Amino acid sequence: MSGSLYLGIDVGSSATKCVILGGDGVLVGHHVIASGFDFKESAETALARALLMADGDRADVAGCVATGYGRQNVAGADRRLTEITCHARGAREWYPQVRNIIDIGGQDTKVIRLAEDGRMLDYRMNAKCAAGTGTFLEATAVKLRVSPAELDELAMRSMGKTVMNSYCTVFTGTEVIERIRDGERREDICMGLYRSIARRVSEMLSVRDGVVGATGGVVAHSRAMVRALEEVFETEVLLPPMPQHAGAYGAALLAIESVSRERSVRADAARG
Amino acid sequence: MAGVVKRVPIAAQTQLKDLLREHFLRLDAAARDASRRVAWCTSVGPCEILTALGFEVFFPENHGALLGAKKISQDLIPRAVAAGYCAESCSYLTSDVGSALAGRSPLFELYGIPGPPKPDLLVYSTNQCREVQDWWNFYARRDGTPVLGVCPPAHLGEVTPDHVKFVRGRLQSLIDEIESRFRLRMDDEKLREVVALSSRASRLWHEVLDTARSRPAPLTFFDGVIHMAPVILLRGSREAVHYYQILLAELERRIRNGVPAVPDERHRIYWEGMPIWPKLRELSEKFFELSAVVAASTYCNSWAFEEYDGGDPLWWMAKTGTEIFINRDENWKQSFLMEMFERFSIDGVIFHNARTCPNNTNSRFGMPQRLREQAGIPALVIDGDLSDPRFFSTAQTMTNIEAFIEQLEGVPR
Repeated sequence: MSGSLYLGIDVGSSATKCVILGGDGVLVGHHVIASGFDFKESAETALARALLMADGDRADVAGCVATGYGRQNVAGADRRLTEITCHARGAREWYPQVRNIIDIGGQDTKVIRLAEDGRMLDYRMNAKCAAGTGTFLEATAVKLRVSPAELDELAMRSMGKTVMNSYCTVFTGTEVIERIRDGERREDICMGLYRSIARRVSEMLSVRDGVVGATGGVVAHSRAMVRALEEVFETEVLLPPMPQHAGAYGAALLAIESVSRERSVRADAARG
Repeated sequence: MAGVVKRVPIAAQTQLKDLLREHFLRLDAAARDASRRVAWCTSVGPCEILTALGFEVFFPENHGALLGAKKISQDLIPRAVAAGYCAESCSYLTSDVGSALAGRSPLFELYGIPGPPKPDLLVYSTNQCREVQDWWNFYARRDGTPVLGVCPPAHLGEVTPDHVKFVRGRLQSLIDEIESRFRLRMDDEKLREVVALSSRASRLWHEVLDTARSRPAPLTFFDGVIHMAPVILLRGSREAVHYYQILLAELERRIRNGVPAVPDERHRIYWEGMPIWPKLRELSEKFFELSAVVAASTYCNSWAFEEYDGGDPLWWMAKTGTEIFINRDENWKQSFLMEMFERFSIDGVIFHNARTCPNNTNSRFGMPQRLREQAGIPALVIDGDLSDPRFFSTAQTMTNIEAFIEQLEGVPR
């Protein structure tokens, strides 16, 4: 590969994100698409559309890093790294001061702690359960017969302090019904759902110091999620310009670094 | 790239297979022979007493692990749950009870025997957990088999002579009870001999595990959980001693000839907690692919007892059975782990949070965080279970393990 474009492809459980950077790290193309049933195809489609935006083609690609649950399904990736590493890299590029990254995805939630020099100190992933993830919100929205956007709208109108007591998606559904029956305002019930996720996230962050940033599809589309996180952590939560693309962006940055490292190794070898 | 390099199998595995086949066939034959007796015993229970009294000994925990490893536990557990055993109680128990209720065992496929040998006696020690009592009681109630046990003091920091004296007394009572029920007489010399063999096999097993201190390690935790079978199932036998002499010699040869368990070994991991039997192969392959060797574990080390000095065999049994890791308090466990990290040059520790085995899960009271702070060892906790695969998410766990290795590698800045 001798081109000048660097790809990051993040095949998540809900959405596939592609980011294209120039060699200088400037973002020249991006696309997001539902992952659907065929991860390979969604990666291909996201890439084709991002390339269109970047006004490039595959021959221009110098390096590609795949990430996300479907990272093994991305054809032609030079490296496959976890979304934990890629989100950390992407978020840090946007906000060098960030020390805690909360990534709320469709299938899981991760909390990553970074050292001052960007090293990953520690990370935690949610247990094998939908609680505290985007799936939890989607499932509950379906139950309430509202779209995820409407759920967010309703929650943002809440003035109450409702918190759901259940962790489990199924039990939360039951609790929602109980609260409706008890005449609780639906705005407050909706906000309670976001608070229950934020509480779940707070269990994953053992050290509470340093700047907090959030990435992932849920915070990208939900102001109520950010509001709940800020309430629980009692601090401002930074949102990067493209929270949902943070993993793909990090992957593309890592592609640049990988290629640059290989080139310098080759140059050293050539010099003998 | 490590992923395309072939693993060099441990040659002694062939002998191991033969040894296990003979063991299970012997048990089955004993169960069919009215003149012979079979006892079931917990894995770190007082099996030397049973062997010295002439019983053939079967270890049901091994059956529970086998049901998990052969991926049939998830079909059998619902039978035990329907019979009133909670789905979150020990999955060795629920899978084995389910197996008994369904009349289905991997021992048939493996050795052509119908299942676990029918016991004449059930013996437990609660030094690992109390669940074994309820497990044995299922069979005691169903078949009227006598059940006897020892309950050593638990969660100990220091093990004092008083503790040992108490347990020794319980072991003596156990002997008295068995002698009286079965009209047997303990031959003290025979017990000494069995204990000496048990200790010898255990010391050799310790040396086998210690070979992984070499860089690169000649064996991994995933080899260990296979090759530990004789130190559990054949404890007190000459066959077990002989097997570990062969295995140790082979591993020493591997070290001399530079044959690693994981080529291009870059990271040395410690496994804390139970194995995840249904996912052993996948996990082993994942670490192999990541050039990480799981060099040491608490689990495999649980059968590495101190040397028997030729004195009172019951004192040795009482002491070693009480001193085991799982029977100790949180502070003792932490010190032990820190010593192990040092001893095996460990880069990171993985705690298995086994859903149905809280007693052998050590990540629930802040241990990973304390080890991170006090020993500077990065720690990862993965959720799973010893035998019930329904508590394990392959995709999530593999991502967790990969991310942990990326963390150790320091990617990226």
